Amino acid sequence: MFRYYFLLGLRNLARNPILTLLMVLTLAVGVAASISTLTILHVMSGNPIPHKSARLLVPLVDNGPVKSYVPGSQPEDRQLSYRDAVNFQKSGLGEYRTAIYDVSGAIESARPDLPVEQLNGLAVDADFFPMFEVPFLYGSAWSRAEDTSRARVVVLSRNKSEKLFGKDNPVGRTLRIFGQDFRVVGVLDTWSPVPRYPRLINSSGGGLSGEDQGYIPFHTATDLELPNNASTSCQADERDPGYQGFLNSECTWIQFWFQTKSAADRVAVADYLRGYVAEQRKLGRLMRDAPPQLFDVMEWMRYMEVVSNDAHLAVWLSFGFLLLCLVNTTGLLLAKFSARAPEVGVRRALGATRGAIFRQFLVEAGVVGLAGGVLGLVLSAASLALIAKQARTLSVVAQMDWQMLALTFVLALVASLLAGLLPTWRACQVTPALQLKSQ
Amino acid sequence: MEIRPIISQLLRSKTAALLIAIQVALSIAILANALYIVNLRYSSSSRPSGIANENEVFTPTARSVKRPTHNEAMAQQQRDVEALRALPGVVAATWTSQMPMSRSGSTSSFSLDRKQTRQSIDLSTFFAPPGFIDTLGLRLIEGRDLTAEDMVEFDDEKDSPTKKFAKVAIITKDAADVLYPGTSAVGKTLYYGIGDDAWEMRVIGVVERLQSVIAQTGPKAEYSAIIPLLIDLTYPKYAVRAAPGQRDRLMTDAEAALRNASLTPRLIFVRSSEEDRNNRYRNERALAWMLIAVSALLLLVTASGIVGMTTLRVAQRRKQIGVRRALGARRIDILRYFITENIVITTGGIFAGVVLAVLLNQVLVSQLELPKLPIVYLAIGMGVLWLLGIAAVYGPAWRAASIPPATATRSV
Repeated sequence: MFRYYFLLGLRNLARNPILTLLMVLTLAVGVAASISTLTILHVMSGNPIPHKSARLLVPLVDNGPVKSYVPGSQPEDRQLSYRDAVNFQKSGLGEYRTAIYDVSGAIESARPDLPVEQLNGLAVDADFFPMFEVPFLYGSAWSRAEDTSRARVVVLSRNKSEKLFGKDNPVGRTLRIFGQDFRVVGVLDTWSPVPRYPRLINSSGGGLSGEDQGYIPFHTATDLELPNNASTSCQADERDPGYQGFLNSECTWIQFWFQTKSAADRVAVADYLRGYVAEQRKLGRLMRDAPPQLFDVMEWMRYMEVVSNDAHLAVWLSFGFLLLCLVNTTGLLLAKFSARAPEVGVRRALGATRGAIFRQFLVEAGVVGLAGGVLGLVLSAASLALIAKQARTLSVVAQMDWQMLALTFVLALVASLLAGLLPTWRACQVTPALQLKSQ
Repeated sequence: MEIRPIISQLLRSKTAALLIAIQVALSIAILANALYIVNLRYSSSSRPSGIANENEVFTPTARSVKRPTHNEAMAQQQRDVEALRALPGVVAATWTSQMPMSRSGSTSSFSLDRKQTRQSIDLSTFFAPPGFIDTLGLRLIEGRDLTAEDMVEFDDEKDSPTKKFAKVAIITKDAADVLYPGTSAVGKTLYYGIGDDAWEMRVIGVVERLQSVIAQTGPKAEYSAIIPLLIDLTYPKYAVRAAPGQRDRLMTDAEAALRNASLTPRLIFVRSSEEDRNNRYRNERALAWMLIAVSALLLLVTASGIVGMTTLRVAQRRKQIGVRRALGARRIDILRYFITENIVITTGGIFAGVVLAVLLNQVLVSQLELPKLPIVYLAIGMGVLWLLGIAAVYGPAWRAASIPPATATRSV
């Protein structure tokens, strides 16, 4: 019977074509607006590394001056000082550890007449690569031993490598960066986590777009006195001049990550942090009475407010719009169904139950919803393409995935069924005798 | 016009009228909030930055491959400025540590007293020489411009900002109003930093506007200071003003000039202030356009809803209309009947919509830190929907009025 009702519904689409078109359009527009804003929110707040996001932890201690501390407030910056970062590196805690900061320099060409290439990348520890499961196209990461020996080694992104060396395997070749000879040890395969959770505070595109073009060891970078190329915050004014003075200062500019063996080991890291703060306090540091904090990947992205309020706002308003479209469709369905009262009268007189009528009309409403879903899908894709073009930073998140594709149809179907409930119920109320008499 | 028969008729068949009223209410709630947000975003993206004729200004950045010593950097900076000034078509050129809306630069804390434990204000700090104000075309409204005597040389390798720093500063009017409300800022003392070792400075001038590098939404965008500190920058920047219409050509020429001004290879980027503004406000504009599109669709959907439902009501009452016409009602009476009926329905929806708009705004205020909705947007929403309602009902009502009286006599 369902099949019959479904076919009947399809055929009835052609009846009152203008009314039907209006209904399908209204539903499609409402669904498209909601789906495109929801897609952006969904991709922005998605988990970039679901299988281990609970094991990747960011520590944060408040090292601001005690005199300007307001009890209970969050630290002024969301990064660490060099001293804390180095202490965490030495802690030996967890499976992997890495400190991260942004470096920027120029790659000199072997021929002086060619222009220099820019390299915007990260200074990281060897653990960075296994920790974030970075895929390699050629070669591999450097070793922990090369971390401590401050080796002049570099890992390039696939794009940068292709720009410099074409499709060749450049592992083993030498590049002159920061005025020094660096050996290429690896080239990454295409890797662009969305959001860019390992280093959300960066100067190469922000939390969503952009790319790190290369990676060098953290201690090599500080050895070469490379400044941080992203946000640096200095709360205390007093510091010694020069790069060493900067390293010894309480300026915050480094991001840190721990990876634990299991999610339960988080407690151990939290315990270590509390002990660390107490110990540093004895040395006269971290004097603010603020507890250290620990974030896993999802908590960190929330703390960093990766999803902008505007994205939420757009979803709120577009769902309001969908609700309006739903009410509108209800009205249109009411008009369409009320014209069919005589038909219902005949069916009821021939023995159809109210339930049967209810099912038939609800299926018909569903057919309208499916048509709206198909059109809505087309419109969503178009509007997402438009949004990606308008806002470059949104281009990576304005991409539909299978989940959203399915949701489009579910949303359209549910919306049409909801809209169809009242008109269907009204159709069931038709009194057969009255209808037959007036015919 | 009798309103009572309309009301009693409405009470008899509520569904269609209720559906229209709900649509009107939802439309107002969304429209008022959306328009308000559009206006907020749009006005923030078109705020003046303080730069006069923004489309004549651009910023080349030239970075050495090897980190130069302080003296080398200072000499190179001087050569670069001269090379830029020598280009035909350049009106003015100067070096600077940062540019408005460029999203990279520094912000520092300032206080009014060394005893303070918290800063009085955070200012976006523009380190620049005399000539910066003229190049950008800022309006100095009080005090004087920087002079060569004000310049203090600062070597990052040797000097600490608590021991050696600039002695004077020029601040923006908004910063002056926060720091010294009600009095003139010129001649007042300002401390760079917080606490006992904060560096004492004197305010020598006030500029009308100078937008910060981040250009935050809200008043913080105007908290800036120009400080005559001669420092070597990781990214030495230059502000160049081109003669009208020459900017695009000069942007290419400036890159070549800077390439030739140094013997060692350098990385050179050139960006116009127009690009800075577009990049800074891209997301704001995208959201504004999205909301405008949704608002337009919303009005279209609501209008089609009113047309559809009124057509339905007219169709249901063909006979009734025929009888009324046969009994002597004129066309204008029928027309007035349906228009008045619609006004009653929309007005009901409008009042429900105002309540809904305020509720929606409260959700947005509490969840998304949005400011409160001004009354004027509610009024705009009411006006738009009211007119839309009348316009939408006119067609179906006219068709109703055209029903011939003979309909009443047919097929009773």
